Amino acid sequence: MDWLFFGEISLAGLAMGGLYALIALGFVMIYKATRVINFAIGEIMMFAAYLFLAFAGGMELSAWIALPLAVIGGSILGGVIEKTMIRPMLGESPISVVMVTIGIASILVGLVEFIWTADPQLLPSFLPREPVFIGPLYLAPKIAYGFLIGSALLIIYLLYFRFSRGGVALRATASDQAAAYSMGINVRRVFNLAWVFGSLAASLAGVLVAATGGLSPQFGIIGLSVLVVVIVGGLDSILGALVAGVFIGWLETVAGAYLGGEYRMPATFVVLAVILVIRPYGLFGTHEIERV
Amino acid sequence: MFRNILKKGRKLAGLGGLVAALTVAAPAIAQDKEPIVFGGSIPLSGVFAFAGIHIHAGLTDYTDWINSQGGINGHPVEYVMEDTAYEVDRSVAAFKKISGSSSPATYYGDSTGFMKAIASELNSMGTTLMSGASFATALTDNEQYPYQFIPGPNYSQMFGIILEYIASQGEGDDMPTVAFVYSDTEFGKDPIENGKARAAELGIEVVEEIVTKPGSVDVSAEVLKLRRVRPDYVVFHGYVLSPINEFMVQMRQMGLDTQFMGTFWSSDKLIIDKMGADADGYMGVMPYNYYDSEESGPMLDALRAQAEKSDPEAGYRPTGYMQGWFNAMVWTEVIKRTLDAGKELTADNMAAALASIEDWDTGGIIGIPVTVKDMSFPVGRIWRVNAEKGRYEPVSDWIHLD
Repeated sequence: MDWLFFGEISLAGLAMGGLYALIALGFVMIYKATRVINFAIGEIMMFAAYLFLAFAGGMELSAWIALPLAVIGGSILGGVIEKTMIRPMLGESPISVVMVTIGIASILVGLVEFIWTADPQLLPSFLPREPVFIGPLYLAPKIAYGFLIGSALLIIYLLYFRFSRGGVALRATASDQAAAYSMGINVRRVFNLAWVFGSLAASLAGVLVAATGGLSPQFGIIGLSVLVVVIVGGLDSILGALVAGVFIGWLETVAGAYLGGEYRMPATFVVLAVILVIRPYGLFGTHEIERV
Repeated sequence: MFRNILKKGRKLAGLGGLVAALTVAAPAIAQDKEPIVFGGSIPLSGVFAFAGIHIHAGLTDYTDWINSQGGINGHPVEYVMEDTAYEVDRSVAAFKKISGSSSPATYYGDSTGFMKAIASELNSMGTTLMSGASFATALTDNEQYPYQFIPGPNYSQMFGIILEYIASQGEGDDMPTVAFVYSDTEFGKDPIENGKARAAELGIEVVEEIVTKPGSVDVSAEVLKLRRVRPDYVVFHGYVLSPINEFMVQMRQMGLDTQFMGTFWSSDKLIIDKMGADADGYMGVMPYNYYDSEESGPMLDALRAQAEKSDPEAGYRPTGYMQGWFNAMVWTEVIKRTLDAGKELTADNMAAALASIEDWDTGGIIGIPVTVKDMSFPVGRIWRVNAEKGRYEPVSDWIHLD
């Protein structure tokens, strides 16, 4: 066995997995706080990536100004969606809310086609292009730097949840909405905050993934791939999103390299099926017992 | 006030008279000769809209142009289409609707999936000849698809042309090596087996096969595989843009001097527009002259003039436009041959007329006379990106496969 090759492949997979973890974090944050499965997460990623294209490509701003602007734009979009379309659905059946998110996804695709046309796009190059070597192992620079930027946001998030008032309120609401409400936490604001922060994570991941693989109105489909990650990790577990994100990224890449590209998805779905049989609530998800 | 009402009444009466006069006159023009209908399931939205919009423009402009030339043997031409969003069920519904209302002689299909799905109905109708966006090898099977043709070389023939070019770059026994990179789709897999067989015949070793998801994907691991086999050429198929750019950029970052080639839908100017300097040296097989090429000819000049007339702001017209125009050109030729022979416009007669095309001068759309073989036009040329000039330039002669 060529261990150098295995090492390089694994490194590429782990780095890509880091970006999956970031998207999954956005997904889980929203679900954990609001119990909404957001099928529009991929399209929010896509929209942020198009915003980056507009700022960096169309308006020719520096990429390092365009990146925060695009990410903030994506998070504002998340907040607006929550306030105008999800909040009125409070108390409705979960399937209705899911259908609303699917509808939002469709609207965003239409909006993007209307503004930026259906042409495939490439983002202006903004990450260093020199090859990255970790010891003898080669890593594509876009993946390496994308992983670093994504990791920085992950660390900021984890610190925020642990130490800030907003983070504590978010965790409290996620644990028990009624108790959080009775303790004076503004639960509606927390819902909005979860959408803003979840969309922010997804938006950053969107720009980084689009910088690697290109952009089109169909880009949002990647959000569905991340559904596998969050189900494997546990829909309501941030730790699960991180671990499963990195693992699924690694597995996909290794399966693609050794079995062929057509086995990338089947490999992850085999893992998904096995996990669902053994732990239906995911590796780190909460095992809820409903008593009748 | 009364005067105002009277004034308006007079104006309306005048307008009414004009409408009445036109209504009486119009049938006299239309009844001259029955219109011939070009139908189309066109993907103006959805994943293929980037090309569908230009295909539609090509078909529309050709229809306007042929009508300005007196139609086909005096028959005016009507182009009737519906947007399909590149979904097979919507394409089928559009076909049924247009067939029911307009009886099209020829029809543009937007995908291989649709053209396969509609084949049995098309065969039983026996009234319509179909071509479209697909260059699928399977559609050149005359037994199964007798009324469908490919407006250029099929994907296997495109690989054949590419491999002939690669073989011509070898010296004696020192043949270049090649890797095939294709998407995990029916479209992507289409020419691979035939391509491998043709490579073996030409003595070219296929050192790696890479399958990826189409579109936006990370290909770092696949690039690492290619680094180990160091192919002289990588041939892409089943993509439009991504991930071709990532393969090229990453392999060049690794210091490999591999050359990159692609088939029809991967050889649009979009690659240059989006990749910029990174696109330099990329090569594609193209059966038609590019809109901005230095070539000319009566039909190519007419195409450029019509494109300029219909939308002076548009500038360069992509390969989808050329493809739409060429489809309609072939339909016209086939209908004309059928009518000239005094035959009815049935699918059988039109298919026979198509098969009779030999050494056909396309007026500069294709640079050499073409002959139909197995319901396709097996001809193409290798073009190479000159990023500085922002266009493709020919690097081979026209290659007509036997």
